[in-house]
Amino acid sequence: MKTTTRIGALMTAIAITAAGCGSDSAPSAEEPAADPTPTTEQAGPDTTDDDESVAAEDVTADGSTTGDAAACDGEIDEPVTVTAWNHAGQGNEQDLMTEQIADFNAGPGAELGVTVAVEFLPDGTYVETVQSAAATGDLPDALDFDGPFLYNYAWADNLIPIDSCVPDDVERNLLPSILAQGTYDGELYSVGTFESGLGIYASRSVLEENDIRIPTSPRDAWSAQEFDEILRTLQAAGFEHPLDIKWYYGGGATAEWYTYGFSPVIQSAGADLIDRSDYRSADGIVNSPEAVAALELFQQWAEDGLIDLESTDDLPFQEGTVPLSWVGHWLYGPYEEALGDDLVVVPLPDFGEGSVTGQGSWNWGISSTAEEPDAVWAFYEFLLSDEQQLRWSSTIGAPPATQSAAASSELFGPGGDLEIYIDQLSTSSVARPQTPAYPAITESFGAAFANILLGADVQSELDRVADEIEQDLVANDFYPATN
Amino acid sequence: MTATPIQPGIAPAQPTPRRAGRRGRRSDGRAASGFLAPGGLLLGLFVVGPFIAAIVLSLTNWRLVSPLPTQWVGLENYRAIIADSQFWIAIRNNLTFAVLVVPLQTILALAMAVLVNRPVRGRVVIRTIYFLPVVTVMTAAAVIWRLLLTPDGAVNSVLGTITFGALEPNWLTSTTAAMPAVVLVSIWQGAGFQMVILLAALQGVPSDLYEAASIDGATRWQTFRHITVPGIRNALIFVVTVTTILAFRLYDQVVVLPTPAGGPRDATRTMMLEMVQTGFGRQLIGRASAIAVLFFVIVLALTALQRALFRESP
Amino acid sequence: MRRRGSLALSAVMLALAAFSLFPLLIALAGAFKDDAFVFAEAGSLRSVIPEPFVGLENFRDVERRTDLFRPFANSVIITTSIVVVGAVVNSLFGYALARLRFRGRTLLVALIASLIIIPFEALAIPLLLLFAEIDWLDSYRVQILPFIANPFFIYLFYTFFLDMPVELEEAAKVDGAGPVRVFVSVIAPLARPAYATAAILTFLFSWGQLLWPTIVTRSAEVRPLPLGLAVFQTSPPVQWGDIMAFVSLMTIPTVVIFISFQRHFVEGIASQGIKG
Repeated sequence: MKTTTRIGALMTAIAITAAGCGSDSAPSAEEPAADPTPTTEQAGPDTTDDDESVAAEDVTADGSTTGDAAACDGEIDEPVTVTAWNHAGQGNEQDLMTEQIADFNAGPGAELGVTVAVEFLPDGTYVETVQSAAATGDLPDALDFDGPFLYNYAWADNLIPIDSCVPDDVERNLLPSILAQGTYDGELYSVGTFESGLGIYASRSVLEENDIRIPTSPRDAWSAQEFDEILRTLQAAGFEHPLDIKWYYGGGATAEWYTYGFSPVIQSAGADLIDRSDYRSADGIVNSPEAVAALELFQQWAEDGLIDLESTDDLPFQEGTVPLSWVGHWLYGPYEEALGDDLVVVPLPDFGEGSVTGQGSWNWGISSTAEEPDAVWAFYEFLLSDEQQLRWSSTIGAPPATQSAAASSELFGPGGDLEIYIDQLSTSSVARPQTPAYPAITESFGAAFANILLGADVQSELDRVADEIEQDLVANDFYPATN
Repeated sequence: MTATPIQPGIAPAQPTPRRAGRRGRRSDGRAASGFLAPGGLLLGLFVVGPFIAAIVLSLTNWRLVSPLPTQWVGLENYRAIIADSQFWIAIRNNLTFAVLVVPLQTILALAMAVLVNRPVRGRVVIRTIYFLPVVTVMTAAAVIWRLLLTPDGAVNSVLGTITFGALEPNWLTSTTAAMPAVVLVSIWQGAGFQMVILLAALQGVPSDLYEAASIDGATRWQTFRHITVPGIRNALIFVVTVTTILAFRLYDQVVVLPTPAGGPRDATRTMMLEMVQTGFGRQLIGRASAIAVLFFVIVLALTALQRALFRESP
Repeated sequence: MRRRGSLALSAVMLALAAFSLFPLLIALAGAFKDDAFVFAEAGSLRSVIPEPFVGLENFRDVERRTDLFRPFANSVIITTSIVVVGAVVNSLFGYALARLRFRGRTLLVALIASLIIIPFEALAIPLLLLFAEIDWLDSYRVQILPFIANPFFIYLFYTFFLDMPVELEEAAKVDGAGPVRVFVSVIAPLARPAYATAAILTFLFSWGQLLWPTIVTRSAEVRPLPLGLAVFQTSPPVQWGDIMAFVSLMTIPTVVIFISFQRHFVEGIASQGIKG
């Protein structure tokens, strides 16, 4: 059955053309993504192996049952191997994940009869691989993906809702930001096993020498005007380009860093990427006067040379030639090594409506082809245990995903150097818009942000973003609920 | 995939087999079908078939990962693409790139070929060195060049020295310098390939012509202009045609080199990038397929035009 | 006067050689250099000096982060298959176009020529679905089969065969040899330069494949080498030394192949070029 449906899609597309169907009838071409295979596998073997039109109608019918059929029942019937994909980047994440999986397989996994078999796929091409696997119905049982794509997979039924898998006490212990990120259309689809956050790293001594106030919480963040003066003060003090914004992260196929790192600018000004009341429009939101004003200020900084648009690594801040670095939690380690006690983290500036930071990171979901979601969940629950959380956050330097781990973390707990990240996450962080349109949003906004820093007209760039988001929504019928 | 020179180009002309007639009138139908079968089957399955599928898909609103039903939308995708200013920017960039790269790369390749065609010591080594960039995988080459093109990189060191610091652009983020940067890297990688083709042609120019020119007291330039260039005319046309097609396939360099992909303010957005971003990024396979079809039509037309303008000498 | 001109030409020749070679030297030097210095010295001549020398440390880092042997072996298997089978299939096709008489030949030549324009990116999605359909994803064959028949190489063989003197074939035919015998015993041996050309170009193309393996492979058992580079291209901090080590590892095989094929290759291009 697996095979017929997919070529069926292609053949049906051809058939539609040949038959010249009317434009608004024709619900008959079945989407490869909405592969009903998982459901039928749950329900029993090969029940929908009929002709295309029947299969096509089953998509909706199956869709509505997917959530129930593939949910957790709290039991793992027999020994099972969970196939998992994990993105492999640089650094020690992969080493640690390998160890954690080995520990799981040897410990709780062995007790439950669950073995996790992981495949590390290169970070740089991970999204493309996952998307094509989603398109062809070849996803593994468990996979992690960067936050932005969750809603797309959830909408397309590539993932199952996991509410039934997560015990209440575990759910209550998750940071609210983790729950917010994992929720789509009222159901929980994923759990992040670590959080993220933004801040400005600074050299305490440089700030003090220049009589610059050091904020300690998002509530007393620098105002945008104050920040403007600070940048100019530092430039006058001899720093050619005082602010590093990791411009170089933006290279490559996606500009996600620009969206993650700088949508807080417009959000802090009272604007947003899209109207979150119904996710049906971005016009007047992303290109609102507030957004334009905030980004014009940012553009001014770039124009006046206050922003470093030349660096291609982290050395300028580490070597002290650039005193401020606007970036995420992940550079705490290298920065701390370079600056020691002189390092301080302050919240992003307030552009009018309070300081805002990004949140969310890689998170794990259960694919709709997973036969034993309980087994997958057992693995995730292991990753969420205090011990594993602390192990991860102390090695990787990422904020933990659970409240108990955050409280007992040396770095992120009360009095820790990075306590501010947890503070932000519970008070002033904004999740990425929970819509399948997010990949389109980030592609568009990220490019616009880069263009703005390079001198493009802010209003027309943001108008274009609004327009492109609109186009994406229209192209997908505004992402109607399919369940 | 990669826009390396191994990518095919339309080789010139389809000369009729001049001597075929002599072999007699009988048809080699059976043998021919045997010879053509393996290639024909594979081409049908993996090139023609998928391309027809792409044409069909271009008339639908098919999305890569989506629960929505696919619909027949007629020419809507084509209308949307033609109405999209980014597509025209991409075409303009492709044309700019071609206009820059084709002559520059051909001239450089010709210079290389002429230089190593002289009876000097070490020319085989030099020839090999000229060809080395060609055998460097483009994704790898782009990584190296990213390093060289940073504001403090090697390229600016050289430029800065030559121009006394007057010209040190931020290659990868400047709207005016990004395309030249892509051109530079493409030329670096492609020139060696064309050099070999031109070198082969140079060696085919009869040496008695040069001797005659020398006796007539022709200058180097006159010799080059009136003997060398006409002598390698066909090879030059071949090189120009191939390079033109490659120029329109430009993709790898623009993804890896400038910030962001597509370049500062779309300075290096190309048709290929537009197609891949539409298909994989926005998951609009129908629309991406329409871009592919338009691409095919445009490049086919341009190649035909080019061939009409520069016909080979017999 | 002439002499000074020659000197100037030689100077230009060497300058162009430096232009071609310099980036590759930087990669090679960077592979043996401390990560931090690869970037910091990118603008000076020191960039081609592997100092501070770290020995094989960068290569060990590469080995630690991404398996090397398996992807390398996979790339060799995939590439070799495409090169060898492709040479046979494309040369047969090209020969039939050039020498055999059958109906629709002219049309077929024009068709092959226009197929050259179609970019692979345009075919990737339909092909992906096709292979998913027959459950061939994540295998060697899915990475080999689509690339065997190639219109460009067919055209290359076609133009080569057109130019070959017909007399030898005639002689063989007089002896009563059929087309297959003629091809195997007379044509193929004479076409060595064309085969060498097709081989090196196919090798290069196949060796650098990135998009296709990205979407059709999932497991390390069949994944080729270039995907490894994607591990290093994201996730800052960028470790330039490791990247350069990887780039060197990817490039060296193609250079070795080229140098060993070089003589045949240049001749092959020669006939192709003159034809043009």
